[in-house]
Amino acid sequence: MWRVSVRDLQWRRRRFVIGLLATGLIFAMSLLMSGSVTGLRNADHRILDLIGADAWVVAKGAAGPFTASTAVPAAAADTIAALPGVTKASPVALLHSTARLPNVKDVNVIGYRTGGLASPRVSKGRTVQYAGETVADTKLKLHVGQTITLGGHRLRVVGLASDVTYYFGTPTLFVDLSDAQAIYFAGQQLAMAIVTRGVPAANSNVPAGLSVITPAQARADLARLLKSSNQTIGFLNGLLWIVAAGIIGSIVYVSVLERTRDFAVLKATGASNGSLLGGLALQAVILSVLAAVVAAALAPLLAKGFPFAVEITIRSHVTMLAVALTIGLLASLAGLRRAVTVDPALAFGGG
Amino acid sequence: MSTMTVDLTIKDLTVEYVSGGYAVRPLDAFDLHVHAGELVLLLGASGCGKTTLLSVLAGILRPSAGVIQVGDTDVTGLRGRALTDYRRNTVGVVFQAFNLVPSLTSQENVAAPLWAAGWSAGKAAARARALLQQVDLADQAGKRPGDLSGGQQQRVAIARALAHDPPLVLADEPTAHLDYIQVEGVLKLLRKLAGPDRVVVVATHDERLLPLADRIVELTPRAAGSDTPMQHVELAAGDVVFRQGDPGDLIYVVDSGDVEIVRTRADGEELVLGRIGPGRYFGELAPLFGLRRSATARAAEASVVTGYSVRDFRQRHGPLVGDLIASAT
Repeated sequence: MWRVSVRDLQWRRRRFVIGLLATGLIFAMSLLMSGSVTGLRNADHRILDLIGADAWVVAKGAAGPFTASTAVPAAAADTIAALPGVTKASPVALLHSTARLPNVKDVNVIGYRTGGLASPRVSKGRTVQYAGETVADTKLKLHVGQTITLGGHRLRVVGLASDVTYYFGTPTLFVDLSDAQAIYFAGQQLAMAIVTRGVPAANSNVPAGLSVITPAQARADLARLLKSSNQTIGFLNGLLWIVAAGIIGSIVYVSVLERTRDFAVLKATGASNGSLLGGLALQAVILSVLAAVVAAALAPLLAKGFPFAVEITIRSHVTMLAVALTIGLLASLAGLRRAVTVDPALAFGGG
Repeated sequence: MSTMTVDLTIKDLTVEYVSGGYAVRPLDAFDLHVHAGELVLLLGASGCGKTTLLSVLAGILRPSAGVIQVGDTDVTGLRGRALTDYRRNTVGVVFQAFNLVPSLTSQENVAAPLWAAGWSAGKAAARARALLQQVDLADQAGKRPGDLSGGQQQRVAIARALAHDPPLVLADEPTAHLDYIQVEGVLKLLRKLAGPDRVVVVATHDERLLPLADRIVELTPRAAGSDTPMQHVELAAGDVVFRQGDPGDLIYVVDSGDVEIVRTRADGEELVLGRIGPGRYFGELAPLFGLRRSATARAAEASVVTGYSVRDFRQRHGPLVGDLIASAT
């Protein structure tokens, strides 16, 4: 009896297409949301990988280098570099600020010591070698040689780096540590953390007032900033699934209401309840799967309008398809239930 | 596809259902035997039980009592899959309003019962084409019902009923939605259906179908004729004159005592509609209009009543019924 269901979809194609587009748009929004979460999480991972620390040394009691409110002395890097297990140690300043490009823009600022860790891979130009220079995120759409103002200091763009966005898609400026200290610490020789290559041995004497945290802890510190937004996105995603289920369920239910006489006739002519239910479930599945296909085509186009990288993975697509099938079938339950109760005697009714 | 030859036997068939809180019995101890090859017309006014009988024969409605046998199959004893198989293979139904599925083409409508039975698409299509050829609609196979005339739709419905070559074909008011030009083709087709291996039962109130029939079954009790003799009945308190649902042929006049008219609800609760005293009459509608009794008449005390046929009553008590009888004659 699946042919009857397919023919019915063709017969009511206008409604079906409207439902398909609406559901497809909702599924696309859902894909974008999960892609946003993935994109933001991956951006965090990329910046941590770029810094390349095996261990982070932060002010004692600080949850991590990104949320710490207490700076550490930059000179501690030399002491830490000498600790057993450590082959290299560099002070870094991790800050969030605004820059005039000439328009005011939110930026992450990473101050690092030339030749030390946290040096970006430039896609154009060169890395920072002197004070007064910056490597800018390509997302800022600056060009090499351009001058910008950060905290009242003029910096010349000497290089561009890609994929260095983090913290809700905020682009990053890499500056010499001395510039970061001049701008944010009134010239004091401070940093937000000391990053190391190699891990300080367990019994090593870390300078007083400092503590060592692992890369995982640093990652958790950064992820915590996204936690509430991820929860919000998850909640909205759930609402979207409910709306999608509502649309699919309504289409199937209205279809059952309109086809009551058809079901009665089909039952009276020997169609089993199971075959009719299978046909209805098929309608819901077709609608869901095609909506998922529409979403897969639509989402990458819509993603271009987002201010940060939306990374829609194969896994997201597979998950969406599975959820689409599930909610399609669940949503059609009311219609299925109604179809089962159609009395074949209705077929004998007059026109 | 069935090739068996069957007789249709109906014994003591009673169908009772609840409507508006009251038990309605459109069929009461109904008997019928139809030989294979016969076309039977069920005649009667709306509500007399024609469609109810077809529904029971189609295995769609379960009777309250009685037996229906199609060949060796006891239809009333079928349940679940066996009942589905019966609907699928043994009986074909032509519904009153065509009831074709609007989204399917003519050919697909005919093939739908075959799909339900698990036929392959190719085999079902070939069978549907052959049936459409049989009803002279081969050239309309790709059209949807909305693009066909009423007569063409009815012929598609007949082809659909024949999908499994069933030994029993039921048609419910097959000419109800057709003009006289369209009726002709459908009548010829119905007559052709009643071959030696098949019983055809047609419910109708269209008397143009009468010449088609091998048998005519009147389901509406005819208005009482003049042959029912007058009856003088002495009743003790509680004695029943007639029961709700009985066929009616006499009008009663209370000679003495008191008769109460009681309507019984489906849940058994009794509602007294009125009490009829000496000189007054009751029970006139059933014999006048060929209806079943809509209430029970019961002696409230020791009473004497006299039952009259409509003609006798008119002769003796005409002025009492006045306009009511005049309008019915």
